[in-house]
Amino acid sequence: MSADGTLPPAAGRGGFLASRTALAVVIAAYTVYTLAPFLWLATMSVRTTGEISADHYAWPRPFHWEQFRIAWVDSDFATYFWNSTVVVVAAVAVVTLVGAAAAHALARYRFRGNRIIYGVLFSSIIFPPQITLISLYQILVDYGLYNSLLGLTLVYVSLQLPLTVYLLEGFFARIPQDLFDAAKMDGYGDIEIFRRIVLPIGMPAIATTLILNFIQLWNEFLFAVVLITDPDKRTLPIGIRAFMGDHFQDIGMIAAGVMISVVPVILAYVFFSEKLIRGMTAGAVK
Amino acid sequence: MAVVQLSKICKRYGSGGPVVVDNVDVTVGDGEFMVLLGPSGCGKSTTLRMIAGLETISSGTLAINGRTMNDVPAKDRDIAMVFQSYALYPHMTVAENLAFGLRRRRTPPAEVKRRVGETAAILGLVPYLDRKPQALSGGQRQRVALGRAMVREPMVFLFDEPLSNLDAALRVNTRNELIKQHHRLASTMIYVTHDQVEAMTMGTRICVMNGGRVAQVGRPLDVYWNPADTFVARFLGSPPMNLFTVPLSGGDRIRTPAIETPLARWTPAALAPFAGREVVLGVRAEDLHLAAASAGAAETGRIRGRVFAVEPLGAETLLAVETEGGTECTARLPRDTRADVGAVVDLFFRPDAAFLFDARTTAAIPAHVIPANTMVAGGPGRAGAMP
Ligand SMILES: Nc1ncnc2c1ncn2[C@@H]1O[C@H](COP(=O)(O)OP(=O)(O)O)[C@@H](O)[C@H]1O
Ligand SMILES: [Mg+2]
Repeated sequence: MSADGTLPPAAGRGGFLASRTALAVVIAAYTVYTLAPFLWLATMSVRTTGEISADHYAWPRPFHWEQFRIAWVDSDFATYFWNSTVVVVAAVAVVTLVGAAAAHALARYRFRGNRIIYGVLFSSIIFPPQITLISLYQILVDYGLYNSLLGLTLVYVSLQLPLTVYLLEGFFARIPQDLFDAAKMDGYGDIEIFRRIVLPIGMPAIATTLILNFIQLWNEFLFAVVLITDPDKRTLPIGIRAFMGDHFQDIGMIAAGVMISVVPVILAYVFFSEKLIRGMTAGAVK
Repeated sequence: MAVVQLSKICKRYGSGGPVVVDNVDVTVGDGEFMVLLGPSGCGKSTTLRMIAGLETISSGTLAINGRTMNDVPAKDRDIAMVFQSYALYPHMTVAENLAFGLRRRRTPPAEVKRRVGETAAILGLVPYLDRKPQALSGGQRQRVALGRAMVREPMVFLFDEPLSNLDAALRVNTRNELIKQHHRLASTMIYVTHDQVEAMTMGTRICVMNGGRVAQVGRPLDVYWNPADTFVARFLGSPPMNLFTVPLSGGDRIRTPAIETPLARWTPAALAPFAGREVVLGVRAEDLHLAAASAGAAETGRIRGRVFAVEPLGAETLLAVETEGGTECTARLPRDTRADVGAVVDLFFRPDAAFLFDARTTAAIPAHVIPANTMVAGGPGRAGAMP
């Protein structure tokens, strides 16, 4: 044992390097696997459909940037983009605020029915949302909200709220009660405690739900296609779908439209990824 | 400047739940350092939290400076509390933690800055003002928690076991720091602990609690020398006081095969009601010796038993002995004590170091002579340290 005293660390170092190399290879492979389709799409978005059918995988030469202008202006992607932005930003804002407040209430206040509400929320997460589609359609028609962006926003709020409350409740419940008691002793009331203690401490979790909800709704197709009929109220996913129907041959133009719709998602990841990772890895609030 | 008065305070959680705080009647004087002392689960924290306003009071009255506070929300009570977990706001720097309570009270920014700086200077926190709590050691966090209370200059300070997360050396330091701050601020402080050493060293008075009730209130050494019942007698002192249930023979002596002692501290009249009945004899571990005192050897108390454990602690040696009746007792002896496990030994004590309790009620039988070696400092304020 003692004669080999120097060996174990050396072996340990070698093992460490080997495992690091293996990890790097796996990550590189995964990156290629996820990035390649995206790059392919990106190259197609600056090539004409004729060029694409000649060679699916060729490098763009020249770069047809005008495809973006055509998609944006001539093919109404500006309208779709604006509609998506309005609906998704409003829905995510409401879901985040209402969800955080509800999660705080469920996590922190003892009141009759607390666990029942929690149970109902939880059960609505495990049922597939499609089963509500027909009834939602009927309700929206009854209230004159069918085929309106407001109606779609409300539906999106109700779709994302349960999971948001559920995720945030789990996080908020782990904030020590002593912090709330300390803030009360420091003279703060319930709403101020929510604003100055719960929201800042819960920020990693809130950012996580924010980005998840944003991506989910930005890409949402099923409810939008059923509840919106007017071409000028289309969101991006139905806009792209309609585009495929109208100009099925125009692959290059569709690629440009998809690229436009992907940009906000990428930006969301760039701005929130750090908080997202912190939220996902946050074990407990210290 | 605040007098905190608890009158017949009770607490039960839920409507049908058990009573966890039972009829607590205590008045904490202005500038006093009152320690609530008792074993875990006896209702100390609940009592403190009712004073803070963090728990509702089921019945009874809480008054501060004569004003009933039962229905005043915690945020309006002008009370500061130091939590066992420190409860520092993790997303704020030390400076922001200190200022948080002041900001709420619409203190002008310049004043906030001055008071935060002053408090940080007193507690040695100036180098850490820009750090978040995660980047502080346990002792530093403790001082921030203390500073957060001090900076507000509240009417009343509450502490819930604030030292229990510190290591032993730091605990002694912080204990002294707290005593110093109490002298400096002269504020009313109520301090919860289960540690009798903290209670003895810090309290101007202690309130011993047992099962939700107040067992005894008094200055530390008064309580130590005149415990109201066997619970208090055992709770103050380490190792706890030795107790023996024995018949009272001849009215003024105890004489069993294992234990023999005159009862010099009690008048015949005091003992008369217990004639022929059982009483509980109490002798503290530090009052037991292996050799009889040279003077008046005939009048010493004696306990005979078989040694079953010898624990050399370095500074002293604990001898655990089992008497013939099966009662265990511990003697705290000089460090050079040698004894063999299994040997039969006699432990001697001065009769005026004995305590007597009613075997049925566990209440102390009042003596007319104070116990041996007592030098309880007179006058108000802090008593001397424990011997
Ligand atoms: N929120 C609560 N609900 C029900 N019972 C409680 C609650 N808080 C404390 N208790 C009970 O009250 C008793 C006293 O608790 P506590 O005041 O924390 O004791 P201590 O601080 O002296 O250790 C314990 O038996 C505890 O189980
Ligand atoms: Mg407690």
